Amino acid sequence: MREQRRKDAVWRFLTYTFVLAATVVMLVPLYWMIVAASLPQELFIEFPPRLYPGTSFFDNFAALQERSNFVRSIGNSVFIAVVYTIISILLCSMAGFAFAKYEFRFKEPIFYVILATLVLPIQLLVIPLFLMMSQIGWTDTFRAIILPWLANPIGIFLMRQNMQSIPDALLESARMDGATEFQLFYRIALPAMRSSVAALAIILFLFQWDLFLYPLVILEDSANYTIPVALAGLEGSQRVYFDQIMVATSLAIIPLAILFLFLQKQFVSGILAGSLKE
Amino acid sequence: MPHDTNSMYGRRRVLGGLITAGTFAAAGCIGTDDPAGNGGNGNGDGNGNGGNGNGDGNGNGGNGDGNGNGGTEMAGSIDGWGWDIAARSLQLTAEAYEEEHDASVTVEEFGRSAMKDDLQTRLASGSGAPDVAMLEMVDGHSYIDTGSLTDLSGHIEDAGVYDDFVPGVWEALSTEDAIYALPWDIGPTAVYYRRDVYDEHGLDADSIETWDDVLEEGQKLPDDVYMLNLPPGDLAGVWRYQFRQLGNNPFTDDGAVNIHDEDSVTIARTMKELHDAGVASMLEGWSSAWFGAYESGEIASLPSAAWMEGTLRAELPDTAGDWGVYKIPAFESGGPRASNWGGSSLMIPAQIEEPERNRGWDYIQWSLATEEMQMLMFDEFGLFPALETTYENEAFDEELDFFGGQPARRVFADVAQEIPDYRFSVDTPEVSNAINTEFERMLRDDLDPEEAVMAAAETVAERTDRELA
Repeated sequence: MREQRRKDAVWRFLTYTFVLAATVVMLVPLYWMIVAASLPQELFIEFPPRLYPGTSFFDNFAALQERSNFVRSIGNSVFIAVVYTIISILLCSMAGFAFAKYEFRFKEPIFYVILATLVLPIQLLVIPLFLMMSQIGWTDTFRAIILPWLANPIGIFLMRQNMQSIPDALLESARMDGATEFQLFYRIALPAMRSSVAALAIILFLFQWDLFLYPLVILEDSANYTIPVALAGLEGSQRVYFDQIMVATSLAIIPLAILFLFLQKQFVSGILAGSLKE
Repeated sequence: MPHDTNSMYGRRRVLGGLITAGTFAAAGCIGTDDPAGNGGNGNGDGNGNGGNGNGDGNGNGGNGDGNGNGGTEMAGSIDGWGWDIAARSLQLTAEAYEEEHDASVTVEEFGRSAMKDDLQTRLASGSGAPDVAMLEMVDGHSYIDTGSLTDLSGHIEDAGVYDDFVPGVWEALSTEDAIYALPWDIGPTAVYYRRDVYDEHGLDADSIETWDDVLEEGQKLPDDVYMLNLPPGDLAGVWRYQFRQLGNNPFTDDGAVNIHDEDSVTIARTMKELHDAGVASMLEGWSSAWFGAYESGEIASLPSAAWMEGTLRAELPDTAGDWGVYKIPAFESGGPRASNWGGSSLMIPAQIEEPERNRGWDYIQWSLATEEMQMLMFDEFGLFPALETTYENEAFDEELDFFGGQPARRVFADVAQEIPDYRFSVDTPEVSNAINTEFERMLRDDLDPEEAVMAAAETVAERTDRELA
């Protein structure tokens, strides 16, 4: 008994040490990013590097803001990602619900075709999408950035897997009580999927937040730039303004951090949901 | 276009720039071409703008009165793309162009790789590309081979500006019977050295003519001071300027891999000797440690190109006055000492319609083929002109405080005229990767130079499906 407890303690100690070490490894670049954001460029390139924050954060931010309206880019990114996430969650859950709970012709083949589109890299889609958007006059618009990615195969897959765990009997009895098909989805299926929806929200938000090549090609006016596009504009040929880039990246992670903290609990259980509830 | 700007450097020279620019306006009339006179060419082929007939003789020098609105085929507004200070120099010339012409030129500034990604997508999709765009010489053939650029040889011939540029730049921008871009700036090579460090340890920069001399002088330095640096991540860059210095090319005329040539072995052996003798450090280029070593004088010399001046001024202001330059050493006494590192040009995408194309060319010619504009960009942003006719300007003979009073730009101008041709290709990145890998192994694991060079050649041949020469 005591032997067992000691073993557990050792095991726990090792686990925590490992997790702690891994956390440090992950946090060091973040810490350095924030330190570097607060240093003037001269100190940034100093060797050996200075490891505690300086006082130039706001100077660097002012220089950044003067070069590219970065606050505006953050606003653009947040707007695009939020709108995209909301609409896409709705579409993916509806599609997932249909694949999980309805029988229709070619259901399986259609599902596999949707899954198969996962193998298409974005780089392959950029040129045809750009052509399409320029032909319908949508270049330099946010809707061109949002629309093509709304039906997200990962999202459909995730929602289908999770929706399968909803008991058919539950849906049947609701039907008996006179619920419409849409009410089944909206009142019963969707609320039961809260944690999966949270997970999906993070996945979708992150996908749109990180999208680079496509918005780079579509967006023309720098007032419309999203964060990744604006960041890429900070890179010169030789002189790289690391101080400004570090300020920009420090700011860019804030909305993500907030979102993740907010949905963290649901995210973990949502990702695990499909594997546990079968 | 690896260049850099520095406000002090720029500002300080603005005045001088304006004055010289003024002089040039007058000199231009006597000299090669009057920019205004070419602007208004009546464009003889006003009719068929069907295909992209490029060689069409647009009736040049017609009215001579200048303003571009004379030609019916000239668009009223165009846009251009560039990055960093290249874009800002284009904005300068665009302002000047707009003053003289009834047209507007909008220049957009991008990040370097962002612009390449965006531009390549638009070129590939055949729509949405800018009317005029910057093209790095090293990328020349990868763009030309896609067929997405306009052949400018007709325009260049009509304008008669071909011979105004240094001869070594055209190969990167042309095929056998077409030229796809007009050269902008170049990077004539030289060795920057710390005068104070050389003096302190009794090194004599004037006596250095060959790499053997570098080795010999370098041995006078104490153990903690290095003669030069070999950047492990960019040994290919070093190799390339030296291979070009020797007048060689990575591929033969029939496309066979030539990087295992005797010259290549010589370069590898020299690099290894410098390394093994402890004369060369191995710090990653552009890293903070690298900048720091040049700041403290821990590394005494920096083989690089004309554009490095701007970087040194901006990043290491405390070293002002301590620098000097000499031509890169030869491999044997009396051998060639000129090469090039970097450089760019302006091109017009093939998808651009005729009126925009004509306006675009007019603007390109105004910006790059006139001494006035080239000197303006040189003065303001340090872009070293590929336009050879500018080198007669006295600005090149100015004794620069940064170089301890040495008229360093004359050295670069002299080198520029001797730059050998060099053939970049779509496979240039493969060559760079292979050379980098094998040369780093050679230095770190003490491999034989012949073997390293041969291994690199075999890798390139295999990856690019080419023969060994």
